[in-house]
Amino acid sequence: MTRKLSLVWLNYKQNKVIYWMALPVVLYFLVFKYLPMYGAVIAFKEYTVGKGIWGSEWVGLQHFQDFFQSYYFWRVLKNTLILSFYQLLFGFPAPILLALLLNELRHEMFKRTVQTVSYIPHFISLVVICGMVVDFSSRDGLFNSIITFFGGESSALLSEPGNFRTIYTASSIWQELGFSTIIYLAALSGINPELYDASMVDGASRLRRVWHITLPGIIPMIVILLILRIGGLMEIGFEKVILLYNPNVYDTADVISTFVYRKGISESAEFSYTTAVGLFQSLVNFILLIGANRLSKAVSDNKLF
Amino acid sequence: MKRAWRRRMLLSASLLLTIGGLAGCSGGADGNKNTEGAAADGPTPISIWASLNTNVSITLKNMSEITAIKEWEKKTNIKTEFQHPAVGAETEQFNVMLASNKLPDVMFVYGDYSKLYTDGSIIKLNDLIDQYAPNLKKILDENPEVAKQLKADNGDIYAIPHLRLGKYKTFGGMFIRQDWLDELKLPQPETIAEWETVLKAFKEKKGVTAPLLYGAPPKLTTMGPAAANFLEAYGITNTIFLKDGKVVFGPVEPEFKEFLTTFHRWYQEGLIDPDFATNDQKTFDAKILSSQAGAFFTYIGGGIGRYLPALQEKEPEANLTAVQFPVVNKGDEPMFTGRSWEWSGAGATITKSNKHPEETVKALDYFFSEEGHMLKNFGVEGVTYTMKDGYPTYTDEILKNTDGLSVVQAMAKHFIANYPFVGEDDDRYNEQYYQYQQQKDAVTLFSKYSDNTLKVGLPPVSLTNEESSEYSKIMSDITTYRDEMFIKFVIGAEPLENFDKFTAQIGKFNVKRAIEIQQAAVDRYNAR
Repeated sequence: MTRKLSLVWLNYKQNKVIYWMALPVVLYFLVFKYLPMYGAVIAFKEYTVGKGIWGSEWVGLQHFQDFFQSYYFWRVLKNTLILSFYQLLFGFPAPILLALLLNELRHEMFKRTVQTVSYIPHFISLVVICGMVVDFSSRDGLFNSIITFFGGESSALLSEPGNFRTIYTASSIWQELGFSTIIYLAALSGINPELYDASMVDGASRLRRVWHITLPGIIPMIVILLILRIGGLMEIGFEKVILLYNPNVYDTADVISTFVYRKGISESAEFSYTTAVGLFQSLVNFILLIGANRLSKAVSDNKLF
Repeated sequence: MKRAWRRRMLLSASLLLTIGGLAGCSGGADGNKNTEGAAADGPTPISIWASLNTNVSITLKNMSEITAIKEWEKKTNIKTEFQHPAVGAETEQFNVMLASNKLPDVMFVYGDYSKLYTDGSIIKLNDLIDQYAPNLKKILDENPEVAKQLKADNGDIYAIPHLRLGKYKTFGGMFIRQDWLDELKLPQPETIAEWETVLKAFKEKKGVTAPLLYGAPPKLTTMGPAAANFLEAYGITNTIFLKDGKVVFGPVEPEFKEFLTTFHRWYQEGLIDPDFATNDQKTFDAKILSSQAGAFFTYIGGGIGRYLPALQEKEPEANLTAVQFPVVNKGDEPMFTGRSWEWSGAGATITKSNKHPEETVKALDYFFSEEGHMLKNFGVEGVTYTMKDGYPTYTDEILKNTDGLSVVQAMAKHFIANYPFVGEDDDRYNEQYYQYQQQKDAVTLFSKYSDNTLKVGLPPVSLTNEESSEYSKIMSDITTYRDEMFIKFVIGAEPLENFDKFTAQIGKFNVKRAIEIQQAAVDRYNAR
C-alpha cells in the first residue's frame, strides 16, 4: 500500500504540470456533475422548502407511480422517443451522405464553399434559429409564401400538431448538417490513397470505390458516434422544443423535459414529482447507452468503453 | 450573473472553499442574499424581490431608482436593494429562489401565502403590525371586510397588502371599433346573438381577418380573458367559482358545451382570429394597429392608452369604445366583471432571513400614512404634482413629458400607481390617468355590474399546506388538459360529441377533490 502511494507520489512529482492541468476538469465534474446528484434524493421524498432536503419525509416510489399513472405519461414518452427516433433516422445519416458527396468533389473552390455555407447555421444561437423558424412558419411567413405561390392554402404551420415533428427535425438537420460533416471528412482524409490507386488498377468504378474503401474507412467513427447518439436518445433538446411549441401542438411536441419544466418551475412547483420524472429519463438513457455499447461490442470490434 | 459566478468558481483553486460554498445551498443554512446588519446610526439595508413592471423598465433598470422609492428611503432611514427576476420568467425564478432557500429580506408576491408560511419561507406579521404599523392597523380596524380578506383562517397575517378601497376595481374588458359600428349603423352588442351579427358584419363588410381578436399573452394560457368574457356570458367561468354559494368547476358544467358550440361555429365562419392559439403580444398589437381586429379584450389604462393614439395616428377616424360584458339573454345582468377584491391579493412578505423585521414593517407602513400615500400615488409635490384647491394634480412632467414618455411611462419613472405595490390606490390617480373620454366611459360601463362579481367570485381563501400541494397537483393537470381541449374543440380537432369524454376525464383527474378542498376553504373563510 505504502509502496503504491509512493509510486503515485513519484508519478506526481515527475508529471506535476499534467496533474495540475487536470485539476480544473476534475473539479468541474465534481462540482457541477457529481455534487448536484445529492439533490436527486428528493425524488423519493415529499420535499418542502422549509424542511430542507434531509428533513422532508420519505415517500418511496410514490412520485414514480404517479408519473406512470399520469394521463400524460404515454404522450410525453411517445413524443420523446418519436422525436429522438426521427433525429436518429434522418439526422444521423445526413452528414455521412454529405461527407461522401463532398469527398468525391474534385473542384476545391466549390467544395470549400459548400462546406462553409452548410456549417454557418451551427454558429447561430439556437434562440435566433428558432425565432427564424417560428417566423418562417407563421401565416404570412416565408414557407407560406412558397406554398401560396404554388397555389396552396396558407395556414399557421406551427399550430398544426401534424407539422411539428417535420419542422423540428428538418430545422435540426439544417442547423447541424455542415458541422457534423467535418468529423467524417477528417476521418476520410486518413484513408490511405494507395488503396484507391490499387482499386483503380483493378477497374473499380467510383461507386465501388465508395462502397469498398471509403465507407469501411469511416465505419469505426460512425459506430462510435451512433453509440453516443443512442445514449442521448431520451435527451431531446429541451430548449428547442420550448422555443418552438405552443399548447396547440402539445399532442406531438410535449416531451419529458418540457413536461418537467412546466410542472416543476413554470406552471406549478412540484419539485419532488418532476425530479422523479427527470430521474426516470436519465435512467432510460443510461440503459440505452450501456445496451448500445454491448450490442456494438457483440457485432463488431468498435466500442466506446 | 450565473456565468460570472461559475467562472469565479472555476478559478477558485481551493477545493475546500468550493465545497463549503455549495453546502450552503443545499441545507437549511441561512441564505446569503439578505443584507447584513447595519451600523446603529446608518440606514437599515433591505433587499426586496419584486418583478420589474415593463413601464418602469423603459427608463430605469431598477426600482430603487424610482423617485418615490428614493424619497421613501430618506423618510424611513432605509437603503433598498431591489432584486428583479427576468421579464417573462418571474414564476420560474421565484420557484427556483424558494427551492434554493436563499431569500431576500422582503418578497413582493402574489400567491399562496399560507404555503410560504408553513414552508418556513416567510414570517407571521400580526404582532409586528400591532406594534410597528399604526397606519395599516388603523385601516384594518376601520375596514373589517379588508381585515377578513387579509387574515388567514386562523387569523394570521402574512403580507403587508396592496389595497383598493376606492371605486375603481375593474380594469379591463371588451373594446370594439366604434367607428365601424357607426359606419355599419349597428348598435353596441349586448347579447351573444348580437355579437355574432356584429362580428359577421365586420367580416363581410369590412373584410377583416380577425373580427374578434383573441388569445394573447401570457403565451401559454390559452383560455385568455376575451374567451373567458364570452364564456362568462353563460354564467360560468373557466375555473373554480361560486354558484349560489357553492363551489363549482366551470368547464364540467353543461354551459361550457353551449359556449364551445358557439365558439366553434364562430371559428369556422372566420369570426375569430384564426391564429388565436399562437398570438403573442407582438402579433396581437400588430393586428389591432393594422385595423384587422374588430373587438378584443384589453385594459383601460395600459391597453387603450396605448392603442387609441397609435391607431388614430394612422386612421384619424378610428375609435375604440368599451362594450358591456356580454350576456346570453337580453336584459340579463353580467355576473363576472373581473372586479378585484379590496385586497388585490398582492403584498409584501417578510422572509425568515430578514434581520430587521421591525424596521422593515415600520418602513412599509409608511405607505399607509397620509404622506406616504401621496408619495406612492402622486410622487413628490412640486415635481410630479401640485395641489390645486386641495386636489393633487399631475404636472406636465407626467402629462406632457418632454422626453417623449407616455403618461404611464412618466408615472412609472417617478412613483408607483400603475401596478400593485404596498399601500392603497387612489381614485384621484385613475381620474387623471384615464385621459381619453373613451377610458372614462369604460370605467363607468365596466363598473356598472361589478358588485355582482362578489356573489360568484372566490374570496381570498387560504389553504393549508397539505391542501395546497394536493390542490395544485390536481389543478395543474386539469388546467393543462382544459386549455388543450378548449383549442381542439374550437378549431374542430375534437368533435363536440366528445364533450362528455372531456368532463369524464376531468372527473378522473379528481376534480371532485379539488372542489372539496376549495369548498372547505370557503366555509372557513365565511366563518372568519
